[in-house]
Amino acid sequence: MEKIIGEPKKAFMTGNETVAWACLAAGADIMFGYPITPQNEVMHYWTRLAPKYNRNFLQTEDELSAGFTTCGAVQAGKKAFTATAGPGNVLMQEPFGMAEAMRLPVLSIIQQRGGPSSGTVVYSQQEVTLTTYGGNGEGHRIVYSTATHQEVYDYVIKGFNTAWKYRFPTFVLGDGYQAKMREPLEMYDPQDKGIEIIQPYPLIGIPGKIGEDREPQHLCNIYSLEEELYEVVMRVSAEYESISPEIVEFQARNCEDADIIIISHGVVSRAADDAVKILRAQGIKAGYFRPITLRPFPQQQLREVITQSGAKYLLIAESAYGQLERLIKQEIYGETVEIETLFMPGVGIIDFDIIKKVKSII
Amino acid sequence: MSLIRIALAGEGGQGVQAVAEILTEAAYNENQQTIYIPNFGLEQRGGVSIAFIQFSDQRIGAPKFNKADVVIALSGRAIGRTAGYSDENTLFVYDSGFDFDKEDLPKEAKKIIAIPAVDTANRVLHPKVFNMIIMGAVIGLTKVVSFEAAKEALEHKLAYKFETNPDLRELNIKAMEIGKQMAEKSLQEEVDNNG
Repeated sequence: MEKIIGEPKKAFMTGNETVAWACLAAGADIMFGYPITPQNEVMHYWTRLAPKYNRNFLQTEDELSAGFTTCGAVQAGKKAFTATAGPGNVLMQEPFGMAEAMRLPVLSIIQQRGGPSSGTVVYSQQEVTLTTYGGNGEGHRIVYSTATHQEVYDYVIKGFNTAWKYRFPTFVLGDGYQAKMREPLEMYDPQDKGIEIIQPYPLIGIPGKIGEDREPQHLCNIYSLEEELYEVVMRVSAEYESISPEIVEFQARNCEDADIIIISHGVVSRAADDAVKILRAQGIKAGYFRPITLRPFPQQQLREVITQSGAKYLLIAESAYGQLERLIKQEIYGETVEIETLFMPGVGIIDFDIIKKVKSII
Repeated sequence: MSLIRIALAGEGGQGVQAVAEILTEAAYNENQQTIYIPNFGLEQRGGVSIAFIQFSDQRIGAPKFNKADVVIALSGRAIGRTAGYSDENTLFVYDSGFDFDKEDLPKEAKKIIAIPAVDTANRVLHPKVFNMIIMGAVIGLTKVVSFEAAKEALEHKLAYKFETNPDLRELNIKAMEIGKQMAEKSLQEEVDNNG
């Protein structure tokens, strides 16, 4: 693997620039993209960096095409990625569905903006449903929701590995704040952190005679018989469920004796973390739980936290009107803990908002 | 230094985002924790542009905030747009060089002061370096970074311009110095008036 960064070094940059550097360090071959705010600078920085490192870029005519060309490139054995947001994410659901159907190791970076429709170009957490369960399939995807530039860097590198290891479409779910803000992070070459990068491999045109030297490759997104499709979806579902335990990631802090557990994801978890510290200092027993993977969801871990703490309340805080809440409710069905919500669709949430809400509950 | 939150707002093209970039770069170089997030709209040009900046010695949480320690509004429209970020602990600064509706000023503020940055830029220096006066003023008002660190970050950002036109460097630094003095003087006058 080519070394890009050299000695691990500190940097101060935007999240979009961080994405471009992480893709470079992870050994990405090519980006396909179509401009949309707040993702544009991923493309801008990538096009600036790519030629220097012999990587490629193609701007397509729209997001459908950007998604499908990414699907094509990974079949040819290229480590390919795309990045989009908002309405672009909507359009990409069709290629993402194909990636689910054909088990294509596509990595996509989503920088959520306000919705519905063109909404705002600024920020939201309103693409959770779309990114986890969009398309006409079963949500066989892996979705990492990042909170800091360091995580953006770490999970882009990890995301490529996850995609190529498990062959489920993988997403790094950021947002307009993370895309546009500047904050410090450490950049590194994965090999210097003991991270083994999975090399891409072609899925089509592979040598050997079918039936003698190798099994046939079934890269199929349409079936003649309903029974055929049923079998495939059931098999893929079982496989997705069996690998989920090794993929799920979460953070839990101060939950052991908590009366109220604040659940948030992505950039909002930074405010939740601060809120819990302040509440604890005031003698209020608040806990912090954050799913890092929204798909698969850390269901078991959240159930355990609820049971062990004996918490009376969950407070779900998100910059959307219940998209995280719906995910959580389906995952913890049957738990009797009371669920309270702080929905602020399309706007940022700060520690003050959460503290105020907690005090109105307890 | 505990957390300091600054909202810097002006007309698109006035260079407030450049000021935020240079200040946070300087803070980062001084090993502070810092976050800067631009408020960006649909406009390619014009419109009110706001930079949300935070400095701290500890890890910073949410990238945005509801109330700022310092608000700096650099146009009539920017005053109305940013008044909501002011509360009883906020130092609210606006430029005295334009007309605005007094009703737009914040209802709550620790202090409200006016500085003649636009006028000074136009009369004494050059309209182009207006934003460097503001940067100097931010340093004078808040001491979030040292003057030296800001100069270095400025150098880093504009080295390519200074190379072809060394006079620009001097002009920019002069503007920063004037801004810093302007801010310190305003704070002093405030103290004298209240004293």
